[in-house]
Amino acid sequence: MHIDWFVFFAQIVNFLILVYLLKRFLYGRIIAAMDNREALIASRLEDAERLKSEAGQSAEAYEKKYQSLLERSEEMLNQAKEAAKAREVELMDRAREEVDQVRQRWLETIEREKISFLQDLRKRAGSQVYAIARNALTELADAELERRIADVFLDRLRNLDSTQAQAIRETMGKSATDVMIKSAFEIPPDIREQIKGALKPYLTDGSGIAFETSSEVISGVEMRAQGHKVAWSLNDYLETLEENFSQALQLEAMKKH
Amino acid sequence: MEVMNISYISPDQVIFWKLAGGLITINATLVYTWLVMAILVAGSWLVTRHLSTGIHVPRWQNFLEVVVSAIRSEIRDVSPEGSDRYVPFIGTLFVFIALSNVLVIVPGYVAPTASLTTTAALAITVFIAVPLYGITKQGIIEYLKEYFRPTFIFFPFHVMGELSRTLALAVRLFGNIMSHEKVVGILLAVTPLFFPIVMQALGLLIGMIQAYIFSILAMVYIASATQAHEDKKHGTEKDGLAAQRANP
Repeated sequence: MHIDWFVFFAQIVNFLILVYLLKRFLYGRIIAAMDNREALIASRLEDAERLKSEAGQSAEAYEKKYQSLLERSEEMLNQAKEAAKAREVELMDRAREEVDQVRQRWLETIEREKISFLQDLRKRAGSQVYAIARNALTELADAELERRIADVFLDRLRNLDSTQAQAIRETMGKSATDVMIKSAFEIPPDIREQIKGALKPYLTDGSGIAFETSSEVISGVEMRAQGHKVAWSLNDYLETLEENFSQALQLEAMKKH
Repeated sequence: MEVMNISYISPDQVIFWKLAGGLITINATLVYTWLVMAILVAGSWLVTRHLSTGIHVPRWQNFLEVVVSAIRSEIRDVSPEGSDRYVPFIGTLFVFIALSNVLVIVPGYVAPTASLTTTAALAITVFIAVPLYGITKQGIIEYLKEYFRPTFIFFPFHVMGELSRTLALAVRLFGNIMSHEKVVGILLAVTPLFFPIVMQALGLLIGMIQAYIFSILAMVYIASATQAHEDKKHGTEKDGLAAQRANP
């Protein structure tokens, strides 16, 4: 077998050159590229793992948040329900209160109306009765009746009970005050003298007695001194009548309720 | 286009130029070697000009990555430690022999590996590379000690082994490729239709297998030269650990 030694050494050199060139252009570059890619992929996988764990964490956090929001919304709903219930109760109470107030006002109005009606009625009845009585008395009145009235007054004055007499005496004794005798008619002079005589024990020095004719005193005579009063008149009876009448009306109204 | 006559055994016999009084001969072996080298270097340069390190990889870059990573993984299988140191040498052996053998399907091409000169040159590079890697790894004394193990009597056998395996490398590759070319040439004369195509396909397979065998054997020789001492060291360490475990 023939071996050309020049070709033999040339082939060795050729091979060594090829090793160098391929190392330079192929293996070095390709291995570096593959290593870089591996590093890149590893870092991306690491990133992906990290992102995944982060995403998992944030998903967990959002889930927790969502749950807490749900709980909170339920709580808020319950609170709102309770508040609405409380508000309802409050409104009902207020409404009831208002109704009560309205009713109270209504009752008061009715009461006032009743009172004013009664007053009106009393006034009318009174004035009617007065008118009747006045008419009757005017028609009946004559000197004899007036004298009789004056007599009755005088009699009363004389027969004052001891307590009242004492009270009048004490009051009059303190200061000198005029005693006012009011009458619906002119008191005859003799009766006046008798009245003066009857009052004498009560009077102190300097006190006078004044006589006055007034239509307020209906068919009667009255004495007023320092808040004390001794009288006989139809007015008294009329007032009593009025009072009885009012009481009767009130009883009637209560029965109706 | 017939470059090499059927009667020629080796492409060395096809001489294009003779210079310096026949001392320098440019024959078909050299020319086709340069062609294969040019294809390899130009292809590598073209593909690796713009390398992508991203997710999208160009087709040719992907092809080269597949080739290089296959070479790396084969080397790693034989020698797990420092495998990237051997990639340029072993890888170049493989791609050069493989391309040389595969190109035989191109009409007019003659594989440089069908020349004993080429295969002998490659075998000699392996013969030199093995002690170089071994000495680099272990140091010259430790490396030379390997020749006297287990006893000094084994020294001649070690030397004979080195020489004979180098010869075997050279002759195996040369014999396979040359004989295949001759077989295809003879078959083409006997049965011109169909059968030579099958034989060509078989020739591609044989070429790849021979490239693989040559480079993997080279790697095994390098590994045996670099790891013999390490294995022994690992062995003593393991023994020491076992002893420690036994007597804590």
